[in-house]
Order: sequence, then C-alpha cells, then structure tokens
Amino acid sequence: MAVPDSQHRLPRPDAPGPRLLSDAREASLAAGLIARDERALVQLVEVATPWLLAVAQAMLADRDEAEEVVQEAFTIAWRRVDLFDQSSGRLMPWLLRITRNRAIDRLRGRRRRVDKARRLLALGGLGAGSAAPVEPDEAGTPGWQVHRAVHAALAALPPDQRDVVQLAYFEGLTHSEIAGRLAIPLGTVKTRLRLAFDKLRGGLSSLKDWVV
Amino acid sequence: MIAHDWFVEHRTDFVARTLEPDEERSFTEHLGGCADCRAAIARLEQELAWLPMGLAPVPPRPGLTRSLVAGALGERRGPPRWLVPFALAASLALSLGAWFWALGTTRAFERQLAQERGRLVEELAMTRDTLGIIREAGMVRHASISMGKKQGGMLIFADERTHRWNVVVYGLPASEPGEVCQFWFITDSGMVRGVEVKTDGRSPALLTLPMPPNARNVMGAALTIEPMGATGAAPAGVELAHLML
Ligand SMILES: [Zn+2]
Repeated sequence: MAVPDSQHRLPRPDAPGPRLLSDAREASLAAGLIARDERALVQLVEVATPWLLAVAQAMLADRDEAEEVVQEAFTIAWRRVDLFDQSSGRLMPWLLRITRNRAIDRLRGRRRRVDKARRLLALGGLGAGSAAPVEPDEAGTPGWQVHRAVHAALAALPPDQRDVVQLAYFEGLTHSEIAGRLAIPLGTVKTRLRLAFDKLRGGLSSLKDWVV
Repeated sequence: MIAHDWFVEHRTDFVARTLEPDEERSFTEHLGGCADCRAAIARLEQELAWLPMGLAPVPPRPGLTRSLVAGALGERRGPPRWLVPFALAASLALSLGAWFWALGTTRAFERQLAQERGRLVEELAMTRDTLGIIREAGMVRHASISMGKKQGGMLIFADERTHRWNVVVYGLPASEPGEVCQFWFITDSGMVRGVEVKTDGRSPALLTLPMPPNARNVMGAALTIEPMGATGAAPAGVELAHLML
C-alpha cells in the first residue's frame, strides 16, 4: 500500500517553469463566479477537474460515479458560490473539500465498501484507481507543483503512518474500518493518524499558492 | 454527556472524517454551540486544505469538461433520466447477445465484451441508485400550485439514505421575462437559496438536489418567483408553494 506514485513523472528539466496563479487571479475567478460569468466557470472546470476526479475516483473506485460527484461539486460552486468564504479560504481547497465530502457521503450512504474492495483488488492495488496516466507536460498542468509538494510531505511519513493516512484521508475509511482492514488496535490507528496529521500540517503549512 | 476534552482530542479526526457516523453527528452538534472548536476546525481545514492534491490528477474523458459546465449551468444533458434504465436494459440485452456470439470468435473479443458487460451492469446499478431516491424515498410530499388557469405542483422525494432529494415541478407556465422560478430549502437557521427551476408550461422539471452544505437541519422547501439575477439570502418575491417535511 503506498501513496500514489508520481515520482517517475516529475517535470522534465527543460519543461517551462511554473507560474503562480496569484491571489488576484484566483480572486477574479471567484468574483467571476459570483457575477455569474460563465467564462469563469469554464476556466475553473478546466483547471480543477483532473484534481477533483482524482479525489472522487480514489474514494469511490468508480469513474462514472466519480464524475457525478465532480459534477455535484461544480454545481454547488456555480449555484451556491455565496457559501464560499473568500476571507477564510481559497477556491480550489473549497472545491476539493466539497468533492471529498460528497464522495465520503456517498461511500457511507451506500455501504458499498465490500464491492469497492473487490474492485480495487481487481484493479491490482490502491494506486491503480487513483493514479491514472498524466499527460507528459506535467509541469504545465495547473497545480502540479502543489501536487509534488504534498506528495513529498506524504512520502516523508513513516510507512505505517502513510498507510493509515491513505486509508483514512484518500479512501474515506473510519477509525474502526481501518483497524479492521489493517488488523491493528483502534488506539494504534488513532495514534498513527494523529502523528501523521501533525506532521502533514507542519509540512503543508507553507503551501499557500495554487501554482500553474 | 461527552467531556469537552474528547472534542479537543478528535478535532483532526473530524476534519479528516475518520470518526464513526455517530461520533461525527455528536461532533457536528457540538460545533453548533462551541466557538472554540469551530475556530479550531476552520484552522485545521486550512492547514490540510491542499492535502487532497497528493493524488495524481486524472485526465478527464473527452467531452467531460464541456458536460460538467453544462451540468453546472443546469442545461439538460443526454436523454431524460427516466429513459436511461430502458436504454441501458436494451443495450445490456444487445451486449449479452453479442457476448454469446463472441464465444465462437476470438478470446480477446470475448474479454472485451465481458468488460463492456461489466461496465453496463455497473451503470445499471448506478441508475438504480438514482431511481432509488424515488423508489425508496423515506418521505414524499406534494404541494398544489395554481397560477392563473394553470394547475401544477411540486413533488419532493426525500431519500435520507443518500441525503438527496428528487424534486418534480410540473404544470407551471414559463417564467415572465426578468423573472425566475426559485427553489428554496427551509432550514432551522432560515431559508437557503436552492436552484432556479426552468419551467416551460409543458414538460415537468426534474431536479436531483444534494442537501445544502452547512445546513444542519432541512425542514422543508419553498418555491417563489424572484427577479432574475437576485442573490438575496431570503426570498423577496411571490411564494408559489411552501412544504414542510
Ligand atoms: Zn468545543
């Protein structure tokens, strides 16, 4: 069990350098949504979809269902943009959170974990469902630098902590479900998660910019 | 009564959503009355905001982004939802027929068809789930609406299992220029703006709606006529229907 591997897909040395999507640019995207500017929605969908699909698909192990969840996230972003609090957060994390929560709600509502585990096995492991091939110009993929930084933070965790984060955060399992899956005591699950999240909070705190 | 220390200790678990469902419910209730925990949760959410991006991006299938935009804008995509099960059943039958035929041909083709069949079976399961909102709705509510000579109504199928509603609005004339028909959730903390409902006097509008985020207790729904482009937090126009669950 491992964090989805992207080390072999690091940007080429000659790839164009990353450009920051400035606060101002993101704010203008948010302002566009609030002003019901459909061009802002189109831009957001183009930039955010691959990342939202990754989250939903990792959880649901079902491409069609993942697309439905992503649709719900964009529908909320477009129709309920009033819920987005510009003062306390960024647009992309808001969308990621909606997507992750909707995917978890579906998982729990449907009690489909058994099926999912079966499908995951059929897919040949955890990474296979979530780490679909990416186009060769990753450095040009909006958000790729953020992905690399988060990936590095995850890779820096001890394997036992990384495994529980994988199951908890990226697959939506609860404490007791993780304990069952890994055949370890509940207290151990909680401790490992707590240690891991403390490290991740420290490691990710410097990540402020959504990078294109 | 859960000691406050428990909530402090499990804040990260709440953000990561690793608590058991009953624990999550207790935590959500606690947040309603604890500003400290609300502030701490907001801080943790910001600190872990980018974590989901640890997963490698998944390139969308061709045409998906266009369809996502259309979906968010509320434009109809593909055939009406009620047609889908029939279309799926037909294609499944065709696929099964082809599958038997393929037994006599190459193994590769056979595998391909089996995969296709598996995909269709999954799609069918998903469609059943969508229909499940209607079939297994824990609550069905109806309100009649009169508009001039037109008699219509609003029908809500509430599925508590998936926290979604299927809402059917029928028999209403097209909105006047500059006006829209607006759906509202009634929650314990007031009205929450839902979606605009496109009415045309002919076909019913069918909406599948997730519960509004941040609304803890949805108690009902209302339909109003609002000025186009209005974004107010509360209805300002004429109320057409008002339904309590
Ligand atoms: Zn508290």
